Amino acid sequence: MTTQTVAIIGGGPAGIEAAKGVAELGFKAILIEKRDRLGGTPDEQKYAALTPDLRDTQTALRELIAPIENHPNVEIMYNTLITDAEGALGDFTLKGVQLGKEVEIKAGAVIIATGFQHFDPGRETQKYGYYEFDDVITLTDAEKMLSEGKFVRPSNGEVPKRVCFIQCVGSRDRRLGNEYCSKVCCGISSKQSIEIKKLIPDCKVFIFYIDMRMYGYWENEIYWKAQEEYKVNYIKGIATEIVRKGDKLLVKGEDTTFRRPMEVEMDVVILAVGMEPSEGTKEMARIFGLKQNKYGFIETIGGPLDTVSTNVPGVFAAGACTGPADLEDSVSAGGLAAVKAMAALRKLEAVTA
Amino acid sequence: MARLNVEKDRIIEKEKVVVDGIELSREWNRMFEQRVIFDYDTSMLDKVTSIPGAESMGWCYQCGQCVPVCPVDTVGGEYGPRKIYRNLQYGIDLFESPDLWKCTTCMNCLRVCPKDVNMIDIMPAVRAEAVMEGQVPDELQEAFENTFEYGNPLGESPRKRADWTKEVSVEVPIMKEINRPVDVLWFVECYPAYHHRSKDATKALAEILVRLGVDFGILGVEEKCSCDSQRLAGEVGLFEEFAEHNIKTLKKYKFNKILTTDPHALNALRKEYPKYGGEFEVVHYTTFLAPLIDKIEWKKTLNYKVTFHDPCYLGRHNGEYDAPRKLIEALPGVEFVEMGRCREQSYCCGGGGGGMWLDGFMADHIKERLSENRIKEAVATGADVLVVCCPYEVSRFEDAVKSTGNEGKIIVRDIAELIKEAMG
Repeated sequence: MTTQTVAIIGGGPAGIEAAKGVAELGFKAILIEKRDRLGGTPDEQKYAALTPDLRDTQTALRELIAPIENHPNVEIMYNTLITDAEGALGDFTLKGVQLGKEVEIKAGAVIIATGFQHFDPGRETQKYGYYEFDDVITLTDAEKMLSEGKFVRPSNGEVPKRVCFIQCVGSRDRRLGNEYCSKVCCGISSKQSIEIKKLIPDCKVFIFYIDMRMYGYWENEIYWKAQEEYKVNYIKGIATEIVRKGDKLLVKGEDTTFRRPMEVEMDVVILAVGMEPSEGTKEMARIFGLKQNKYGFIETIGGPLDTVSTNVPGVFAAGACTGPADLEDSVSAGGLAAVKAMAALRKLEAVTA
Repeated sequence: MARLNVEKDRIIEKEKVVVDGIELSREWNRMFEQRVIFDYDTSMLDKVTSIPGAESMGWCYQCGQCVPVCPVDTVGGEYGPRKIYRNLQYGIDLFESPDLWKCTTCMNCLRVCPKDVNMIDIMPAVRAEAVMEGQVPDELQEAFENTFEYGNPLGESPRKRADWTKEVSVEVPIMKEINRPVDVLWFVECYPAYHHRSKDATKALAEILVRLGVDFGILGVEEKCSCDSQRLAGEVGLFEEFAEHNIKTLKKYKFNKILTTDPHALNALRKEYPKYGGEFEVVHYTTFLAPLIDKIEWKKTLNYKVTFHDPCYLGRHNGEYDAPRKLIEALPGVEFVEMGRCREQSYCCGGGGGGMWLDGFMADHIKERLSENRIKEAVATGADVLVVCCPYEVSRFEDAVKSTGNEGKIIVRDIAELIKEAMG
């Protein structure tokens, strides 16, 4: 029955949790994923450990996915891309392509959970030389290495002695158009610094920051842990540019509390890249006619009190497709979107009856 | 751009270069390579935080709350845990730096620190390493040697430790002589026993105890320095040796509680001696007298306007703020005014944590003495008398009254002296 079916687009943490919520509350969930597996960005980008609890990503994702894999109320459509949609609350028709074949999906409500993509540090600005220096990498590059249980200088495979993170790359930047804080990078840098120190205890790790934004328990669970137990050095003031110095990188910036210029040699520099709306998010906004904010994220209409409803009745958005979000935010929003979608359909049923 | 042909191992990169007394620091060295303007050699931070007791030095997240309440920073000492952490992160060798000795362990930073960066544990732990290496300022070393040799930092004869008792009209029972249990064992401590000015309060207290009919005795020549300030200044070995001596001596006698004149002795006996098997009930004399003060019949009205300086080791370290105030308010005719920095927020006289023996050293690193800063605040209240209850303070503040040109405006008195004056 269409009015008891919710289509969920995007099989990351928000979408998985939304599908689980819908199914467990007794409606049918159709989970549509463009890749051939669930897990979203943490899986696709090969995250090592999750923030903040440092659990192994694959183990945690398997636990998240397990309840829906063989659930009678859940249908998972892999390798499926939504290309068009029509209809209204209670009667949506989604058109898509699955492995070259056209498919049609009918649902009473839709939850968009198409997430984000990492900022490309080579876009528009090259001040940190991401495409110039092999040893300048991003948080995602570091995650890939860490998930393989290693951390080396990409240029020569050697174990680094000095590593630094540069925070706020692609975030909090009017010139780039990304004025927002990406919310998770401070925590992820701190988490990675712990992972690096675990692998290479002698390595000196620095985090250059403007403000450390470690809200809630991230403060004591990651930031304090990194500083107090793993002796990570936090230094206020982010670097301006990176130049080559022999086979090292010379990171130039200002140490703001000493009010002196600093030039420090590093073996590896990790750019703490922020979040931008994914291509899928922008595409879904277009297909469903959803309002986007100036950054391209889907705009929810309830302010802080309703984080999942959109301007189109029956279409909800959850997770990082609505703006920078951590796992806690995404999963919470996924569950909320399930409830809101089903509530909308129940109300519709009551009126029609 | 043509590359200069330079032998790699002969490239010199220095921010400051002096050859034969001529400074050659210019930008010439940039010709060869990018120079390092500022770097982080965190080995010093790692060294300090690996010392047992000093781990929390690495916990600072630079909130800066400690600096405005640091009494040394207040007088231009460029100090506070936040700054020490930052210097360590930059690679400054704390063991070579005057910063190692500036802290008076007043505990005002720990009071406000959200991260529990504990200078009270850090300072003795780090200084102990310096003491073992023999890197101690001369005047402090002299106090250590005096203590070691004579049992007191003043270098006075140990045989004369009870000589002050001959200067009072009342009988002061000495445990070894009376050979009986007492209710209160009075641990007099060094400055109260020897110092020409601190002794006045000691003598007054003896008369007060007799007047109140307190059953008490002192250890006399058997007593040695409690060594708390030496411990905090890094002489941990000496402290342990003296603690064991004093505990052994105390255990020879029967008593109900220990009374201390000196808040530093109170701190040692109450908090440190139990670690060496010396578990006693220990009270400061102000705490002891407060509930008894109404029993005293006053003979004289003191027409003083007074203010009170909370000793760091009585207040912040041991939580006693009310007893001295109760005593002051009981004094007939006295008008009591508080200074702005009082109770938990009290300023420091500069004598704690070894500061008592570092005045010459400190003079090179601060713009005015801590005691001078405090005297100015006391004078500004309009008080005639600055009341104290720690034996370090009388002489420190009296010196500061003179050096700040406030003679004739304010005098310094121990609470015991004022009680004695009023009871006649």
